[in-house]
Amino acid sequence: MDLAHFLLILRLGLVAILYLVVLQVVAVARRDMRRLARTPVGGARGRPVVGHLIVIDSGSTPLLPGSRLDLEAVTTLGRAPTNSIVLESTFVSTEHTRIVFRDRSLWVEDLGSRNGTSVNQQPVAQPVAVRPGDVLQVGDVRFKFAV
Amino acid sequence: MITRRGYRWTEMYLLLLPAAFLVLGVTQLLLIRTGHQVVTQKSLPTLDALGPALGLIAAFAGAHVLLCIIAPEADQTILPIVGMLSTIGVLMALRLGPDLGAPELGTKQLLWVVIGLAFCVLTVWGTRNLRWLRLYKYTWAVIGIALVAVALVHAHNIDFNSPSRDVLGVGPGNFQPSELLKICLVVFFAGYLSENREMLAIGGKKVGRFTLPPPKQLGPLAVMLGLSLIIFVGLRELGLAMLVFGLFLAMLYVASGRFDFVVASLGLFAVGAFICYNLFSYVRDRVAIVSTAFDPGVATDKGYQIVQGLIAFGVGGVFGQGLGLGHPTFVPAISTDYVAAAIGEEFGLAGLLAILGLFLLLIYRGMRVAVLARDSFNQLLACGLTAVFALQTLVILAGNLKLMPLTGIPLPFVAYGGSSVIANFIIVGLLIRLSKADA
Repeated sequence: MDLAHFLLILRLGLVAILYLVVLQVVAVARRDMRRLARTPVGGARGRPVVGHLIVIDSGSTPLLPGSRLDLEAVTTLGRAPTNSIVLESTFVSTEHTRIVFRDRSLWVEDLGSRNGTSVNQQPVAQPVAVRPGDVLQVGDVRFKFAV
Repeated sequence: MITRRGYRWTEMYLLLLPAAFLVLGVTQLLLIRTGHQVVTQKSLPTLDALGPALGLIAAFAGAHVLLCIIAPEADQTILPIVGMLSTIGVLMALRLGPDLGAPELGTKQLLWVVIGLAFCVLTVWGTRNLRWLRLYKYTWAVIGIALVAVALVHAHNIDFNSPSRDVLGVGPGNFQPSELLKICLVVFFAGYLSENREMLAIGGKKVGRFTLPPPKQLGPLAVMLGLSLIIFVGLRELGLAMLVFGLFLAMLYVASGRFDFVVASLGLFAVGAFICYNLFSYVRDRVAIVSTAFDPGVATDKGYQIVQGLIAFGVGGVFGQGLGLGHPTFVPAISTDYVAAAIGEEFGLAGLLAILGLFLLLIYRGMRVAVLARDSFNQLLACGLTAVFALQTLVILAGNLKLMPLTGIPLPFVAYGGSSVIANFIIVGLLIRLSKADA
């Protein structure tokens, strides 16, 4: 074969491979994104989910505003890694708030936190029932309840 | 050990492409060197001649298998992207070496990539528990600064009119400690900012409409940043000073979410840039060249490199001259600072855009690691490390294309140079670990 032709084929082949790498990585990234969209953030998988918390204001935690967190039958929020939703902020106590599903409703309970828990700007002293749309404040983090 | 489910299939499949690229590229180079006009089976390279290329492929395969064992769930696209970029780097060094009268350039770069891969795997293995990285943040910063300070003492030719390189002679090669300082500073900033982000975000004293950052929290940050900037200016490594400053800005913004800090820091940057502009004559030259490069008398003298670089980009056209068929020796520093011009000449706009795409994907994957990180230290670390790649690529490519004053920063993985390749592979190792961190 002619050298010039052979080199032309090689040259096109090289550029083609470069683009193939780019396209393949994009394909992998797309698959990743789809999978990520299906798996909920934060919550444990495989247990029944009774509702969601949507982050409105992440305060000083690394949470992303707008992300959905799963609520289980019993969900605890606090700074300690043992909580179901860990809020890494100095304004949040180690065990701050508990959200329980009881009598077909979600109940918010403060666990004696230093900075308190409030629902719709009202401090929570006794467990209160909440509905979708209510705003929950834990330390410097604010959530909205959603179905 | 390795299970079928835990095996990194995607990574293996993606790594096949750089391997094919390398074999094809080396074949083309060897064909051109033989100079025969007709290609027969005989003129195709033998396995012997492909030896170094196969060695590099084996090194990547080895790194891949080790990652399957020590970090089976980590990100699978980072290593192939980096593999592709460093393959191009090795190929360019192999191609440019003979023309520059240094035929060993390619094998040297190949060796650096293999050593870099070893460091990458060691980093992934050594940071199984990231806590020690965070706990000894001051130690890292001090080690980094001390290494560069040694280079500062060694820099004997204090000449304020030319840029320099900080180099420490270590063993057979030269070693640039500033490449490591970069990593040390990111670790320090990440450790420090993750502990103090609330205080920095909320701020201390209020002056009018602005809240000043609390001095107690800002102090150590400012000291480390100032020290490294002073050292870089002392070494006349202004490109690196700019890189560290940009890095600091990015991490401070991510940690505090306060835009006014960014504006204030940019103001400080302007002051620093103004001082350097007046202090160093070569900085004034470089800034002037952006607008005067093609003027008579400049194009053949101070603007020679930039003008020749732009000509090389232009000669390449859309699809390039073909690997090994250009005339890259006209451009000074073609294998290091101006490697993008060599790629532009031989792979054309199409090849250059693909490489930009690869860098973009690398940065996307890094930022994804940051978004999914499990705590704020990991998040800031991933973000800072990614910013290193982003800023370096931006600064050197914009410089090469005469969009901003040229500063000699190596294009990550592609430019020839041992320290930069090894440091970048350590960063890659950290990113791979951060993508699936247990602790």
